[in-house]
Amino acid sequence: MPQGLKVRHPTEPPRVAEARTTVRSRPSARVSAVLYAAVPLGVVTLAATGVVLSPGRVLGYLPTASLDVLYSFVRMVAAYALALVFALAYGYYAAARRGGERVMIPILDILQSVPILGFFPVVIVLLVNLTGSSGPYAFLGPNLASVVLIFTSMAWNMVFGVYESLKTLPTELREASDTFQLHGWLRFRRVLFPATINRLVYNSVLSWTGGWFFLVEAEIFTTNGRALAGIGSFLSFSAAKPNANAFAAGLVMLVLVIVALDFLVWRPLGRWAERFRYDQVPSGEGDLSMDRDPSGRIRRAASFVTRGVRTGVTRISTPFVQLATIRRSPTRRGAAAVPRAWTNYVALGGILVLGWLMLIAIIVAIYQVFSGPILPAVRLQILQVPEAMGASILRVAIAYALCLAIALPLAVAIARSSRASRTGLPAIEVIASFPATALFPVIIFGLSRYLTPQGVALLMLMTGMIWYLFFNLLAGARSLAPDLEEAARSFGLRGRGFLRRVLLPSLFPALVTGSVTAFGGGWNTLIVAEYLSVNGVQSLNVLGIGQMIDIGYAEAGGIPLMVTALLTLVVSVIVINELLWKPLYRRAVERFRYD
Amino acid sequence: MALIRVDHVDKSFPTRHGSIAIMQEITFDVRDADFLAIVGPSGCGKSSLLRLIQGLDRPTRGTIYFRDRPVEGVARGMAMVFQNFALFPWLTINQNVAFGLEALGWPPEKIGAQVERYISVTGLEGFEEAYPREISGGMRQRVGLARALAVEPEVLLMDEPFSALDPLTAEGLREEVLQLWRDPQLPPEAVLLVTHNIEEAIQLADRVVVLSRRPGHVLAEVVIDLPRPRDRKSPAFYELTDRVYSLITEGGTVASQGTASNGEGGRPG
Repeated sequence: MPQGLKVRHPTEPPRVAEARTTVRSRPSARVSAVLYAAVPLGVVTLAATGVVLSPGRVLGYLPTASLDVLYSFVRMVAAYALALVFALAYGYYAAARRGGERVMIPILDILQSVPILGFFPVVIVLLVNLTGSSGPYAFLGPNLASVVLIFTSMAWNMVFGVYESLKTLPTELREASDTFQLHGWLRFRRVLFPATINRLVYNSVLSWTGGWFFLVEAEIFTTNGRALAGIGSFLSFSAAKPNANAFAAGLVMLVLVIVALDFLVWRPLGRWAERFRYDQVPSGEGDLSMDRDPSGRIRRAASFVTRGVRTGVTRISTPFVQLATIRRSPTRRGAAAVPRAWTNYVALGGILVLGWLMLIAIIVAIYQVFSGPILPAVRLQILQVPEAMGASILRVAIAYALCLAIALPLAVAIARSSRASRTGLPAIEVIASFPATALFPVIIFGLSRYLTPQGVALLMLMTGMIWYLFFNLLAGARSLAPDLEEAARSFGLRGRGFLRRVLLPSLFPALVTGSVTAFGGGWNTLIVAEYLSVNGVQSLNVLGIGQMIDIGYAEAGGIPLMVTALLTLVVSVIVINELLWKPLYRRAVERFRYD
Repeated sequence: MALIRVDHVDKSFPTRHGSIAIMQEITFDVRDADFLAIVGPSGCGKSSLLRLIQGLDRPTRGTIYFRDRPVEGVARGMAMVFQNFALFPWLTINQNVAFGLEALGWPPEKIGAQVERYISVTGLEGFEEAYPREISGGMRQRVGLARALAVEPEVLLMDEPFSALDPLTAEGLREEVLQLWRDPQLPPEAVLLVTHNIEEAIQLADRVVVLSRRPGHVLAEVVIDLPRPRDRKSPAFYELTDRVYSLITEGGTVASQGTASNGEGGRPG
C-alpha cells in the first residue's frame, strides 16, 4: 500500500497484540535432537537385527554415499549463493523503487506459482545442447540445470523475505533514518540490510528444506544414465537394484547432513538473527525473558509461519487487490463489484487459454521447420495432453482432500493442546525437514507390490503436499487472537459452536494459504509421481501431465510433447490460481483477517 | 524572531473515497527559547503536523519556514523524538545514539566523544553496549532523546514522547526534558511537543496551541505563565487545564457537550 494512504492516528496504542500468543509451548532442542538421532539409530538397529540389512554392508556403502551427498551439497551451496545475491538485489529494488514494485512483484508472483520442476527437462535439454552431450564440458549441462532448478526453488521465497522486511519496516524507523538523513551505502548497511536479516535467515531454512526436496527429485529424474552423481541418484539406484544396505547407508548420510546443518548452521544463525527482529518489540519493560529462552525454534518457527501467513495473505493478494481497487470506481463498491470481478477472471482465463493454444501452434510450427515433421506417435501423445492434464488435476485434488482430512484435525489438536504440541510437534518437524523425495524410490519399489500404480502416485503426491497444509493450519490455529478466544469463552461458547463460529473462520486465511502452497507442491511433485524408469526398467507409469513431460523428455523426438505438456501445465496452474485461489485470498483478506 | 513559522498550512490525504482533510489553515510560530506544546484530540493531525515541520512530508497548501527559509525536504537543525522510540533493534545503545552523527559524516573519534557526552547527559551510563530490547521503556526513550540531542538540534521535535511510558517513568522523564531545555549549555534552543495529554502540555510548555477535531485547525493559543516548577494541584493549573479541555470538547463539534463553567474561555495572544 502506498505510504500516503495511511492516515496517522497519533494516539493509537502501541501494538502488543502478539505478545501473548506465542509463549505456549517450548519443546527443547533436546527433543528434536533425540528424534533426529532416532532415524539413523533406527536404521542401524534394523541393520543389527538382520531383518533385511547387514550392518557391515551398510557401513561399507557409507563412503560412496557420503561422496554422493557431498556432490549434492555442493550443488545446494552453489544454488543458495546465487539465490542469496538474487534475493537481496531483486527484493531491494522491488521495495525501493515505486515503479519497480508494480512490475517486479507480479512477475515474481507468477514465477513462484509456476511448477518449476516442469521446466527442469527443458532446462536440461537446453543446457546439454549448449555444453554438448559428450566431450569435456558434458558434465556441466545437467549440473548447471540442477543448480538452476534448486535456485528457482530457493530464490522466490527469499526475495519475498527481503521485500517484505523492507516494506514492513515500521514507519517510525524509516522516519528516524530519514530525519537523520542517512543515505546510500550507510543507509543500506545500518538500516536496510539489517532489517532483512531476520526474515532472510528464516526463509533460508525453508529454502534449504525445499532445496533438498528438489535436488533429490532432480537427481532421481536424471537417474537414467546417471547424469547427476548425487544422493538422489544413489538412493534411486539402490532402490531399483534393490539393495537395501546401500539405500540405508544413503538415508543415514542424508539425515546426518541435514541434522548437522540444522545444529551447526541454522540454529546458531537463527539465534543471532533474533537481534534483527523489529516487529513485536513491545514497549514497556524489556522482554529479556523471551529472548533468553534458548529453545526458541518451534516457537520462532510458529511465529514465523504466523507472520508468513499474515504477510503471505496480504502479499499474494496485494497485486490482485490493487487491480480490483483500480478497476472499481469509488462510487460503485460492494455487491456490484463482485460479478464484474468475476467477468474479469473469466476474461483473463480466456486470454491465457488462447495464448496457450497460440504458443503451442508456434512451437509445433518452429519444430516442423527446423527439425522435420513431428513423429506420428508423438502427435498422438500430444493429442492426449488435455486428458492427461485432467487426470493430473483430479489426482492432485484427491490428494489434497486426503491431506486436508489428515492435516486439519491434526493441526487443530496440536495447536489446542500444549502437551500435544510439546511432544508431537518436534516429531512432525523432524519428519517434515526430511525431503520426502528421498523416500520416493522405496515407495515406488517397495509399495508397488501392495498398491496399484494409481495409489503409489497418490501417496507420493500427498508427501509433497501435506506439510504446506499442516504447518499453515497449525500456525493459523495457534495465532487465534487471544481476545477473540477469551470473548468466546466469556460467552460460554465451546465445543462445536466454538469450532464453527470462532476457530474455523479464523483458520480460513491460513487454510487458503496452505491450500495454495500445497497445490504448488503437488504440481511440482507430479513430475516424479507419475512416471519413473530407472536404467530402462519401467517402474511407474500412470496417465498424467507429469508423465507426458517425462515421456517427452525420454523419447526420441519427444520435445514437442514435452513443451506442449509443460505449457499446458503452466497455463492450467495459472488459470486455477486466478479463478480459484486469488478470489479466495481476497475473501480471506477482506472478511476473515483479524488484526 | 520566529524560529519556525507555520503559515496557513493545509494537509489532506487521498483515500479511496476522495481526499480527507487532516488539517486546515494552521498558523503559528515557534520562537527562540520557546517550549511550545500542540494539543488536540485523536486524529486532529498533531503528529502529521510535526512531520510536515521536519520535512518528512509536504503540506498540501501553505508553507513552513525554518529560520525564514521554506522547509523543502528533511531539514537539518531539527531532530525528532518518537512515540514508540524508533530505536534500531540491531544497533547497541551507543550505535543508536551515534546514528545521526554517522549520517552527518563526523569522524569516529568525534562521534565517540559526543556519544559519551549525551549518554551521560541522559543518564544512560552502563548501558552503552546493551541492545534496545534489553532495556526498559523509560531507558529506551532516553536513548531516543540522546540520539536526537547528539546532533545538537536547534529545535527538538517530540511526538507524544511520554505516551508509551508508564505514568511514573513519564513524570520523571518530563522533568529531565525540562531541565535539558533550560540548560544553556545544551542544544535545543526550542522544544516543540505534540501530545494529547493536556496536563502534560500545561506542565511543560510556555504556550499551548490547541487544535480542533479533524480537520484540525487552531482553536486557540494559550499562554502558560505559571511559575516553574508547576504544581499540578494548584487552582491556577486546574483552571488552565479546564479551559483547554473545554476548548477542545466544545470548539471542534457542533453539539456542545455542556461541561465546565468557564467554557467560553478567553483567547489570549
